[in-house]
Amino acid sequence: MIIVENLVKRYGSHRAVDGITFEVAKGELFGLLGPNGAGKTTTIGVLSTLLPADGGRASIGGHDVAGDPGGVRRLIGVVPQEIALYQDLNARDNLLFWGRIHGLGGKALGTRVERLLELVALGEHARQKVETFSGGMKRRLNLAAGLIHNPEVLFLDEPTVGIDAQARTKLLALIGDLAADGLTIIYTTHYLEEAEQLCHRIGVIDQGRMVAVGDKEDLISQIGDEDRVRVQVPSERHRALTSAAETWPGVDSVSERRGKLEIRVADGGAVLPPLQAWLAAEGLDLAQLEVIRPNLETLYLNLTGRGLRE
Amino acid sequence: MRILVLVRKDLLRAWRDRRAFVVNLLLPLLLTFIMGLSFGGGIFGKSGISVIPLVAVGEDVPSALRDRLAEQLAETDFFALEWADSTEARRRVTRGEAAAAVVLPPGAVGDYFRGEELRIDVWKDPGRPLKAGIVEQVLQRALRQVQAGEAGYRALWPDDEESMPPGAEEDTWSDLFAGDMNTVWKRWRRVGGEGGFTEVGEWFLARMDHQVALSDAMAESRLDLAVTDAAATPDVAESREINLFSYFLPGFSVFFLMFGVAASARDLHRERAAGTLQRQLLAPLGTNHIMTAKWLSSVVQGAAQMLVLLVAGAVLFRVDLGPDSWSLLTLVVLTATAAASFFMMLAVVTPNEKVMDNVSTTVVLVAAMVGGNFVPVDAMPAWITYVGRWVFNYWSNSGFSLVMVRGESLAHDLQPAVVLAAMTVGYGLLALAFTAWQRRRGGLL
Repeated sequence: MIIVENLVKRYGSHRAVDGITFEVAKGELFGLLGPNGAGKTTTIGVLSTLLPADGGRASIGGHDVAGDPGGVRRLIGVVPQEIALYQDLNARDNLLFWGRIHGLGGKALGTRVERLLELVALGEHARQKVETFSGGMKRRLNLAAGLIHNPEVLFLDEPTVGIDAQARTKLLALIGDLAADGLTIIYTTHYLEEAEQLCHRIGVIDQGRMVAVGDKEDLISQIGDEDRVRVQVPSERHRALTSAAETWPGVDSVSERRGKLEIRVADGGAVLPPLQAWLAAEGLDLAQLEVIRPNLETLYLNLTGRGLRE
Repeated sequence: MRILVLVRKDLLRAWRDRRAFVVNLLLPLLLTFIMGLSFGGGIFGKSGISVIPLVAVGEDVPSALRDRLAEQLAETDFFALEWADSTEARRRVTRGEAAAAVVLPPGAVGDYFRGEELRIDVWKDPGRPLKAGIVEQVLQRALRQVQAGEAGYRALWPDDEESMPPGAEEDTWSDLFAGDMNTVWKRWRRVGGEGGFTEVGEWFLARMDHQVALSDAMAESRLDLAVTDAAATPDVAESREINLFSYFLPGFSVFFLMFGVAASARDLHRERAAGTLQRQLLAPLGTNHIMTAKWLSSVVQGAAQMLVLLVAGAVLFRVDLGPDSWSLLTLVVLTATAAASFFMMLAVVTPNEKVMDNVSTTVVLVAAMVGGNFVPVDAMPAWITYVGRWVFNYWSNSGFSLVMVRGESLAHDLQPAVVLAAMTVGYGLLALAFTAWQRRRGGLL
């Protein structure tokens, strides 16, 4: 449904999108995961025809983004990061307006608006001005506005920014329902748990480049399935601890990493008793201990050396 | 049709925006009301004015007299007099190049000295009430002086130089003033005998004729000053009551319209910041649709605001909106279209709402100053008037002066309407071209 090949977008000398390539199948919910400034929104901007690409190509539903922007726009809906609604109009008037500029009208539009208001649980607030809504209500209406013309592909650009946990849960459930109905969705976020919870496949993006693409299991397997136990002891005792750890059951390797010893082991919990015994025998206090299980965050840290929520 | 959807949305938002309603309509109405009341106190009382340009017509006035008059008026530092034929004089007054024309009919000077009546026509520029009024007052005073001089001359130098009958001179006047007609009669009979009666009677009647002539000279002048607006033809000149607020209400209305339309154009930045502009660009709409709709809604709001203020002026302060409603309506719409195009252009070349806010406020105030919204253009130095011609509100003010003050239709002088239409198209095309260029490079977002 969506094909992106070596997409490039520059702002002056800065390459905001630097040769990104990925594909999204029909009905798939694809997550673009990356920190702020990684190039997620710019990628959405190019794919939705709002920004001209400086290189590469992209097509949606067979329509080239640069060559046939009108064809692309007929297929897509975009839910931007901002609450792109008229705050001084009520919820119903907002949806009627967005429907009309997409060429809808008459009873069909009225029915569609009522259905969407019910879908996003705003039916009772249809005549209420948007400026009086809570953050979560605004986000839901923002989503409804992106769906008003019944698009085949939906771009969701960080739709949960700035809302509380309860509203986020409600919104994520709604998005999950849309995906279950077969809508093709590209979902950008810097919240790891959202990508893990919702997306069929995830593309990890950093500094304009796609550093990894696949489903959750594929991605995690890229960094192996071992736990890592990191322990801090005086540096003159590293050699002794390394010798001891190599004898413990299940330990694959021991190495030094940023002043700490990192023990790679199939089950991190299994090395804790012998480790405590060794520390007691050596008369050392436990200064710092960390058990890291393989997940998307460790993958991301492994790939970029930076945290996701920067 | 989608343009109308966009326009409807903007108008709906404007209607529901209480702040905009207050700022764009209630506040101007309140200020107009206060200003209307202020004019009752005579705002011209202390205003200074520049040299008054005058044109005189007198085809058989000797050139030496013409030059002398022009020099003497120039020495006052108050008038600048030029002589011209009647066609040129009317043209200059109609176009506002002269405050008034003083017209001496052919043979007038000679006729006057032969004792015939003299009518002097004054064609004044209704768009310059202050200066034309001064000219009228000065001429009225001059004519009164001439009239008084003539009467004094006749009293001092009676044209009947015959002396009184001999011997009757000494006491006759005192007897007459005493009302002692019996004594007068006896004296005349004694002096003239039977034939003396006839002689004295003739002398008495001649004196009575002289007194009647002197009384007539003081009561009815042979000089007549006929003042008409230059816009009216001399033969069918109608007297129009011009309310002083009529000169200023259009200027104030255009001033408020500029603020209203600038605020409406600023909405483009607000939509960009809110993301609604981007969302519109995702619909099957071109940037031209979006810009045209924004322009159209600005025009509707601006024209409506202006009409409300003008109608309020007419209702509350009896301002004469002029005899030609279609001309007035056309001018209101052209003013709104030119303003909308201008401020749309300003909106697309400014990077954000804050810059647009600062720039548009400065532009509105400067344009209002040089374009004649606060002070009548004819009371300003010539170079400011020249600068004013480059701003649309100068032409709006000129047009309203033509329609509301001079009572003409726009067809009488198409220049203001044509310039406003040209500015509408010119600024509008610039705004569209710049927006299309921004869109191509993604700068609209």
